[in-house]
Amino acid sequence: MNTENINHKEKPEELPDSWWYRVYLAVIITTIIVISLLWAFSQYFSN
Amino acid sequence: MKFLDWAVVVAYLAYVIWDGIRMTKNSGSAEGYFLANRSLPWWAVGLSVMATQMSAITLVGTTGQAYSDGMRFIQFYYGLPLAMVILCITVVPFFYRANVFTAYEYLEKRFDLKTRTLTSFFFLMSRGLGVGVIIAAPAVILSIVLGWSEIATIFAIGLTTTFYTMVGGVQAVTWTDVKQMVIIFFGLSICLFIIISNFPAGVGLTDGLHLAGSVGKLTTIETSFDLTEKYTIWSGTIAALFLFLSYFGCDQSQVQRFLTAKSVAQGRTSLLMSAFLKIPMQFMILLIGVLVFVFYQFQMPPMIFNQVEADKAANIKPAEYQAIEKNYKEIFASREQAAINLTKANKQEDNSAIEVAKKDYVRTNDEFQKGRKEITKFVAITNENCTKEEIEQDKCRVNDVNYVFPMFVIQNMPMGVIGLIIAAIFAAAMSSIAAELNALATASTIDFYKRHFKKDGTDKEYVFFGRIATFIWGMFACVVAIFATNLGSLIEVVNTFGSYFYGSLLGVFVLAIVVKRARSRGAFFGLLFGIASVAIVGGYPWLSAKWLEFTGRNDLWNIVQNLGIEYLFKIEFLWFNVIGCLVTVIAGYLISLTVSEDSK
Repeated sequence: MNTENINHKEKPEELPDSWWYRVYLAVIITTIIVISLLWAFSQYFSN
Repeated sequence: MKFLDWAVVVAYLAYVIWDGIRMTKNSGSAEGYFLANRSLPWWAVGLSVMATQMSAITLVGTTGQAYSDGMRFIQFYYGLPLAMVILCITVVPFFYRANVFTAYEYLEKRFDLKTRTLTSFFFLMSRGLGVGVIIAAPAVILSIVLGWSEIATIFAIGLTTTFYTMVGGVQAVTWTDVKQMVIIFFGLSICLFIIISNFPAGVGLTDGLHLAGSVGKLTTIETSFDLTEKYTIWSGTIAALFLFLSYFGCDQSQVQRFLTAKSVAQGRTSLLMSAFLKIPMQFMILLIGVLVFVFYQFQMPPMIFNQVEADKAANIKPAEYQAIEKNYKEIFASREQAAINLTKANKQEDNSAIEVAKKDYVRTNDEFQKGRKEITKFVAITNENCTKEEIEQDKCRVNDVNYVFPMFVIQNMPMGVIGLIIAAIFAAAMSSIAAELNALATASTIDFYKRHFKKDGTDKEYVFFGRIATFIWGMFACVVAIFATNLGSLIEVVNTFGSYFYGSLLGVFVLAIVVKRARSRGAFFGLLFGIASVAIVGGYPWLSAKWLEFTGRNDLWNIVQNLGIEYLFKIEFLWFNVIGCLVTVIAGYLISLTVSEDSK
């Protein structure tokens, strides 16, 4: 492939892994909270 | 549908084509056409990831499922955020930094050409047929709802999508996905608002939810560990985790989304966007289905949502049909009264009255469901939709779940909103189809044309081939769709066909990224072992049934019974992903131990 013709733009600096791990933890905690809220929603309207 | 509705649908289709043509100016180079020059922002990629996953059948099927079965289906998505996190840590940086066009290209760098070619081939096989089904399923429903012929509907969806994908490449796919997601969200939000405002006077949202909750429609967690049960928290968090890892991490239609992002960070953020939004979005879609159920507590729903089947049965046996209709009206009236009583009791907060009213409502709802079951059976038998065996085993039913939402919209939404929702269904179908076609064209061009036939071609040649491949795959999908609509059961077969490969493909990537000791021979044969194991678990019951049909002997199933392993062959298809992945990894690793070094 003619890759020489492609303009390689300067890539933005990547964030450190430690920052990402905090984000992943936030995703997991949020998911647990969301599932718990769904469970509470289901319990509240079923009883 | 009124003129305004048609105008909305036609305007949507015309806009999508025009938007695709606009994108051609950025699609001259191969990297521009297939990867958007790796220049897209995370939010566009994230919306595209979600749009690709949400097909029309997800939209109408999920609402219909919530109507009949409640919210249980939401558990299917509980494993998705974790899958996204794992993918952000593993495949996103791997693929992005490897500078690949396809996921399978990476496998050649890690293993060898034959592993790359085999995985890409399996992708083309499963997705090529799958995209036909993605067109066929909504086409069948929309053709009935809109009164078009099936073939016209298939080509309206298939040709429009093929055209803008062919012309604009991945940029057209992504940017139209963004707009399509906006249409879907907008349409669904309006729909939600109108359903609630159409509840009878004195019945609010919480009253409706109490009604739905009292008959188990709001169950969001099922804890029983049963491999033969489709939706439990375990199948959602374990089996579906494997499915999502495979789908988002190894399926070119999804991998290509995050490869178009500006950087690894933007690629990761696009997946995490999906991790945050998917469960709430699915909740909203399921809630619409549940609220449609509530709406039909106070307004009589059609006996059969598939109007064509209902009319057919009414014409064949008019007297019986009328008698059934009369009975249906009676059981509906008693359920309606019970629903009113329960709502009143809830408002008065009188616990003993609530208890009595709830029991009565549950009983009348059960009677109503039983009555509807009988109707679906009567219609299916009258229209000769079932085999003798199905009738004998009491499995003969008209399945009209997928018609619930479109029929509800057509019959109850105001002018203009109907057109908007139909456009949203078209949008959901087209966003998935476009991404699939684009991925099929990319894999055909990069993994086959470029790798095997034209190594030193120019960008222009690859883009040209990519466009031809998009067109051919688009036409192939339309032809598959035409056959799939005529062979109803084939749809299910082809749908589960993908799950035969997903787990094993994931296994190969696990070997590539996680297992340092893995060798190309191990990966290649591990993949074959994985697919064979799933084929045995999934295909054996079918094979033994066919054997019984042709020979009149139950030999094959007797072997299983004698070994006491029947449960193994009743496993729900979500678990195939776990089986395929584990067998591939274990077999691949063991075979790799017999090889010292790869000779490339």
